[in-house]
Amino acid sequence: MSAFALRHLAWALVGTTLGTAIGVLPGIGPALTVAVLLPVTFSLDPISAFIMFGGIYSGAMYGGSTTSILLNTPGETGSIATAIDGYMMARQGRGAAALTTAAIGSFVAGTLATVALTFFAPPLASAALRFGPAEYFALTVVAFTTVSLLLGPSRVKGLFSLFLGLSVGLVGIDQLTGDARFSFGLPQLLDGIDVVILVIGLFAVGETIFQAWQYGRSEPEAVVLHDFTGMNRDEWRRSWGSWLRGAAIGFPLGVLPCGGTVIPTFVSYATEKRLSREPERFGQGAIEGVAGPEAANNAAAAGVLVPLLTLGLPSSATAAVLLTAFQQYGLQPGPLLFTSRPDLVWTLIASLYIGNVMLLVLNLPLVGVWARVMLMPRRLLFAGILVLASLGAYSLNGSLVDLVILYLVGAVGCVMRIYDVPLVPAVLGLVLGPLSELQFRRAMAISEGDLSVFVTRPISAVLLLAAATLLFGSRLVTKRLSTDDDVRSVRL
Amino acid sequence: MPSSTPARAALAAIVISALSGVVDAATEPAIDQLRLIAPAAPGGGWDQTARVMQQVLQRAGIARSAPVENIPGAAGTIGLARFVGSEQGRGDAILVSGLIMLGGIVMHRSPVTLRDVTPIARLTGEYEAIVVPANSPFRTLSDMIRALKERPESLSWGGGSAGGSDQILAGLVAEAVGVSPGRINYVAFSGGGESLSAILGGQVSLGINGLAELEPQIQAGTVRALAISSAERLPGLDVPTLREQGVDVEFENWRSVVAPPGIAPRDRLRLESVIAAMVATPEWRAALDRYRWIDRYLPGDAFAGFVDREEARVRTTLQQLDAGQRGGGALASASAYPSFVLSGLALCAVAALVSGRSMSRTKGSRISRPKLSGTVWWIGLALVINLAMAETIGFVAASTAMFWLTARAFDDRHPIRDGLFAIATAITAYLVFGRLLQLPLPAGALEHLI
Repeated sequence: MSAFALRHLAWALVGTTLGTAIGVLPGIGPALTVAVLLPVTFSLDPISAFIMFGGIYSGAMYGGSTTSILLNTPGETGSIATAIDGYMMARQGRGAAALTTAAIGSFVAGTLATVALTFFAPPLASAALRFGPAEYFALTVVAFTTVSLLLGPSRVKGLFSLFLGLSVGLVGIDQLTGDARFSFGLPQLLDGIDVVILVIGLFAVGETIFQAWQYGRSEPEAVVLHDFTGMNRDEWRRSWGSWLRGAAIGFPLGVLPCGGTVIPTFVSYATEKRLSREPERFGQGAIEGVAGPEAANNAAAAGVLVPLLTLGLPSSATAAVLLTAFQQYGLQPGPLLFTSRPDLVWTLIASLYIGNVMLLVLNLPLVGVWARVMLMPRRLLFAGILVLASLGAYSLNGSLVDLVILYLVGAVGCVMRIYDVPLVPAVLGLVLGPLSELQFRRAMAISEGDLSVFVTRPISAVLLLAAATLLFGSRLVTKRLSTDDDVRSVRL
Repeated sequence: MPSSTPARAALAAIVISALSGVVDAATEPAIDQLRLIAPAAPGGGWDQTARVMQQVLQRAGIARSAPVENIPGAAGTIGLARFVGSEQGRGDAILVSGLIMLGGIVMHRSPVTLRDVTPIARLTGEYEAIVVPANSPFRTLSDMIRALKERPESLSWGGGSAGGSDQILAGLVAEAVGVSPGRINYVAFSGGGESLSAILGGQVSLGINGLAELEPQIQAGTVRALAISSAERLPGLDVPTLREQGVDVEFENWRSVVAPPGIAPRDRLRLESVIAAMVATPEWRAALDRYRWIDRYLPGDAFAGFVDREEARVRTTLQQLDAGQRGGGALASASAYPSFVLSGLALCAVAALVSGRSMSRTKGSRISRPKLSGTVWWIGLALVINLAMAETIGFVAASTAMFWLTARAFDDRHPIRDGLFAIATAITAYLVFGRLLQLPLPAGALEHLI
């Protein structure tokens, strides 16, 4: 019995290691990771294979955060938000603390979300079915208003960046009509510009060009004292609330397929900033800005499995690949998935718990080792970043056109840095813009152009009301608080 | 340590299977390596076909290894264009294709068509079904057709991407019952999961989708099937066909494999025999069963003739669909949102310029800009060299050059040491990601030596 268990643990270890290794590579998300590793599992018995899937899935979701924090190069879309404060922390010598809060946050949120998946999957899934195009559009409006906090200090520059992202989002085939828009006759542009290319370009390549432009051969800053020991007491105190909130935001948004893991992570980031006593520290290395999004993306990953396991609905590319993997073992997708082969489904759920523990065991001791990357000479660090970024962008589609786009976006990113234009709104515009347009037009097509659907459908109406409250209500509250400040001396 | 042995055995198994595939030692493989190119992202039907082929070819020992490569985009036309361009004359690659690719070729006016490749064989077919949510007022197909004839726009059809098999079938059905296909209110969703959840949730009036995806839902009673697109009723599934309900349409979403243009007759014969051997294996039979695919094996010239007839049918249907107006009015049109975004961008750019100028005027001097340092040109050179070398000379040489030039941009005091670092990084990256994990990386003469 113990040898049996040990063998399964070994497969979990192999799965998480391989998943993390590929997840680290920018551009290679969990979907491709699972697909690439699928042949490896062909020769295994079902239980070992499912344990390995669980490991690969958790590992791929986690792997992206390491490069995000240390190299400012998000491995996949779910760790874009992590890069903002994680990289600042690493530059200030707190890389180990950022990696630790990411690892523990992933573990805590991953485990909590798996518990929710275990006990509440069926009612959650049927609730998610009540969301149609009108509700999804309202959801994107809520997301827009939540993350509008991230526009940066200058409204004009923030909006400019946002519209830049929205414009990039116009490129490609219009999903509803199948007509090409702004593809300039280039077939490679028909599917639009991948958000990963935009992010690696703006962040990693842009930063490299900017550093060379600005500082050249002179070392830019005084020697930073690096601390490789993980989190101190204050950082623990700041992190735990963010982990729990991240899990609470990530899981439901994973159940509702809306913008993948980007939306939950940024909503979590914006929430942390709004709740913080010192919002000005965000963007300067606030640990809450790493803890929240990292928890949110792992919770969302578990949320995606809710419609998959209960209704047989693959709501993301990764879920679709997992479904293919299930079919290898004679598991039919569909509403009877849970009842037809409960042994395999429960094995998968159990393996998610094991995978989460494995990630923690695997990554916590290595935090100090990885963080030492920051001690590398700048010339080697940036050279390595360029090689890694190009490798990831190329292997996304195996196309040189993606590399050209990557470098052009990098140049734009450098110019934006020079003129202090914030980068994050552009990413949000690219993700949220096409999504809200698509859902809006779908809702209009279904209602035959009747705008009232957004207020007559209850969920949509509530969501839009919430968005309006977020937008105007918070302004009223802050105004009242600032006038009553002497009386009540409350700070939000 | 007891745990080290299984872990080591596991790693060894992975390395072996990733590098060479699982080989049955008893039989000599018919082909050493067969590259399977799926012109879609992981998770879709073509990717699934390619991965099942990979498994069958390797398990049955027909091919020593069969790596799958995904080239997604634009209903497969991007993969097709690349296949024709870069695999010309190579006898060791096949592309998964099918009906949806014909739709993509018409929709996106692709300059490359299925006439430009070497036909190998049609493999599978998948029937489609028309379903309604469980609480729908439509009990039968004729209920639905009556409503459709009354006011076509009032029925919303949820299905897969625009120009795909689902929309083609919707058009064929409309035409057969005398409704202009252009008046069909078709709402495109990306992928089966998304449209299925819209159907299950009753967000659309009816759904049209592949039977493999719908059958479990039909069996569970979460949706009601009005019709299937097969010629006769299927065993074990109590759903009438379109034809027996007076709609003269028979339809299936077929998938096939093609080889690059200009390959030697010997290579063509070999590929045809590899596929013939594959479809005869019990593993392939089991896979057909598992994925609810119909066996539609049709090799060589007969397959080429079939493609020509299908192309004509798809072209007429899609042109009729395209000619009509679409439901939803002006707000649902494709041009409203782009004009909003572009005018917003222009407005913000002007505002940013104005506020930037007024700020510099009030402060008396321009905001200090960092000076251009000469090193940035080295980075530019590194990027250009990488672009020029990657696909001509190969990944390792291109990455080495880029690494060395970038390092030199920041500090030029250690040229030799940096050169060694560059070579080591490039080779390690190639071995780990290109070989072990089989990601598509450009390979030149150097890579074939490693």
